[in-house]
Amino acid sequence: MSDAGNHRPERQRPRAFRLDQLDENMVVAPQADYYQTEAVKTPVVEEPAERATEEAQRKGFFPGGWSWGGVLLSALGALASIAFGLWLDSLVETLFAKSKALGLLGLGLAGLVLVAIAVLIGREISVLFRQQAIARLHRALALAHETDDGALARQRVSELVSLYADKPEMDAAVRRLRELKGEIIDGAARVEIAEKALMPGLDSAARREIARASRAVSMVTAIAPRAIIDVIFVAAQALRLIRKISEIYGGRPGMLGAFRLARAVAAHLTLTSAMAIGDSLLQQIVGHGVASRISSKLGEGVLNGLLTARIGLSAMAVCRPMPFIAQKPPGVSDVAPFLFGGDKSEKNGQPEKPASRT
Amino acid sequence: MTILDTLFAEARNGAANLTELIRGRGLRLGVTGLSRSGKTVFITALTRQLALLGKTGKNALPAFRVAEEGRVLSGRLEPQPDDNVPRFAYEDHLAALTGPDRHWPESTRQISQLRLRLDFQRREGFLGGGASMTIDIIDYPGEWLLDLPLLQKTYAEWSRETFDASAGAARASLASDWRGFSATLNPDGPENEQIARRAAEKFTAYLRASRADSYALSTLPPGRFLMPGDLEGSPALTFAPLPVAEGYVGPPGSLGAMMERRYEAYKTFVVKPFFENHFARLDRQIVLVDALAALNSGAEAVRDLQRGLNDVLAAFRIGNNSWFNTLFRPRIDKILIAATKADHLHHLSHDRLELILRQLAARSIARAEDYGAQVDVIALAAVRATREAAIKYGRDTLDAIVGTPLAGESLDGHRFDGTTEAAVFPGQLPADPRLAFRGETLAMPEHMADVRFLRFRPPQTPPGAPPGQIRLDRACQFLFGDWMS
Repeated sequence: MSDAGNHRPERQRPRAFRLDQLDENMVVAPQADYYQTEAVKTPVVEEPAERATEEAQRKGFFPGGWSWGGVLLSALGALASIAFGLWLDSLVETLFAKSKALGLLGLGLAGLVLVAIAVLIGREISVLFRQQAIARLHRALALAHETDDGALARQRVSELVSLYADKPEMDAAVRRLRELKGEIIDGAARVEIAEKALMPGLDSAARREIARASRAVSMVTAIAPRAIIDVIFVAAQALRLIRKISEIYGGRPGMLGAFRLARAVAAHLTLTSAMAIGDSLLQQIVGHGVASRISSKLGEGVLNGLLTARIGLSAMAVCRPMPFIAQKPPGVSDVAPFLFGGDKSEKNGQPEKPASRT
Repeated sequence: MTILDTLFAEARNGAANLTELIRGRGLRLGVTGLSRSGKTVFITALTRQLALLGKTGKNALPAFRVAEEGRVLSGRLEPQPDDNVPRFAYEDHLAALTGPDRHWPESTRQISQLRLRLDFQRREGFLGGGASMTIDIIDYPGEWLLDLPLLQKTYAEWSRETFDASAGAARASLASDWRGFSATLNPDGPENEQIARRAAEKFTAYLRASRADSYALSTLPPGRFLMPGDLEGSPALTFAPLPVAEGYVGPPGSLGAMMERRYEAYKTFVVKPFFENHFARLDRQIVLVDALAALNSGAEAVRDLQRGLNDVLAAFRIGNNSWFNTLFRPRIDKILIAATKADHLHHLSHDRLELILRQLAARSIARAEDYGAQVDVIALAAVRATREAAIKYGRDTLDAIVGTPLAGESLDGHRFDGTTEAAVFPGQLPADPRLAFRGETLAMPEHMADVRFLRFRPPQTPPGAPPGQIRLDRACQFLFGDWMS
């Protein structure tokens, strides 16, 4: 821990020196108060990108309070399930009236339906909890890195590891991190080590997905004969993309989960749009401008591709169980280089190859 | 305890909690630890810090978020709420700490209580604006917790366990006098007050000897033997284990029957009231551990501390507090295990101290986390008696602490008189916490020890300012920060 410790014999004996009887060659130099500096570290991560991500996660995954819309939906849902139950009940009764065998069959099937519904609901709920757990993990790991809190980092990194414990391709990284659990490592360093060990594979998988989706969207938009087709296609691709990214990072979105995920991604897009202006809007306009001179359809294709890539990046930010610390957060030009003239990917050595150029 | 008794106690606690819920939010914070772990100093310093919040210009508790955000308007002491519980003698202890002849206050001898009120500003939400909460600090000796398992044990079971424990290598020599005496006793013989008294005296002497400074062994139940308070000499405290077989029932009028009766009286009049009236109503708990004394003594003492600490922690009712639970069956949902006197070593060693503490309490931490309680482990000093400095001599540099060792402390050929300051390098704790548990050493002499922690006098504190602290603010944040957001 201390770099001064390296120059000392392994076990220095306990010593005491009276301050009124110091030898001449001995100096007692006061040290700065460590605890002051330890305590003033802020417990909230201040970085704007991270704040935006956390805010988006909060909006998406932790909907608080109640609203009349919510009341309406729950009341409608309750009415619908009562109606369904009533219908099921009368159906089974009618079947019994016809013949006993038919009634039993109907009863069995109805039971099966109810069991399946229960399982599906249970799965939805567990998905929601998992989403929230990942969001909480994200926040705690960011905090542990920022405050260099050793205990928090140790606890949260082991949670992170158990998130990926059942993925065979991450076996080596998981084992390595488990070995490190007992070691004395600073909080920030531990978070960085975990990020370097676990995230790169997932990140590049997510980037591949984004590249694929954005390429498909821009191509279909460019060649689609009717506007409605590409609107539907873009929406479907965007939804598929964020589900896929969530899966890559360990979430398993169901139906409600995907809805919340989409809400979080939308919140993140809104929150970061101002930030993104300096980063990529210029490129977007330039790209769009050049392409639309050639053909207005091609220009729309490029724009839709960019939009898909932005959605993918937002999904990446809110699904990733930890912030980008040691790794650089990718930008639009990293994941969809083919939209900007195409030669960037070779230059940067990106894993994705621009196979089909539109 | 019969089921009816338990139900009755639960119902009464439920009613008490209901009144508290209606009359305002109050948090009951239990402060405990085996004797000499620094409970009194902790409470005195905590109260002083909280009472001065918002009164001094500079916030002395930076990691306590509500204070750092400037949302605490004032903190003050309130009159004692419970009429039958002694008040914690805060003013006396504070005077001892800060007076001209500064010394560490007297230790906890009995349960005591102190009520603090904090006025603060809520951060946001529709309940925003001013708010107020009370914190009841309940101070009780950790030894009393060791008694709680007795409620489930018969006299014969307890006797056997006590004899087994006293046969261990660490204790055998200390227990020889009492064991020799009890071997001469006949449980079936006629009851005799004099014999009972002598047996109890010798048994108490053995318990006391294992607490002596140089051994630093933790205590066996019954905990009230070492801290009798006003019960001293009463029959409920005049008994001792006898060598009897499992399931033994003494014939009427025999010594065994008398001992058994008194053991049951101890349970009924001493252990049960404590459990029902105080212990079962705590919300948060801090357990103070003087790991340094055990490390001074050697591996045998460290293992003994491990046993004692795990016994203490096993007594807690822990778990997640839902609002339903809060009303009817409050559980401790946050436990802080703190190694006190962290100012006796350099901050570079604190991580290792925390690792050792974590290892000490590993079993209990796992158990508490299984039940859904939050457990944290920190090294803290409620009153910081030292400052840090580097000693440079020749080419070597030692990271040391500077303070005034207590009179009578000695190290490295110096014997201190309690007035001169000294720079002390207490040695290095092992990087692997398991090493601290390995070996048979007990009451290790100085020349063999790898570490030696001296005790220091309280620091000089300017009037009107709180004494220095190490991570007391983090403890506050953990223990009640979430109630004040």
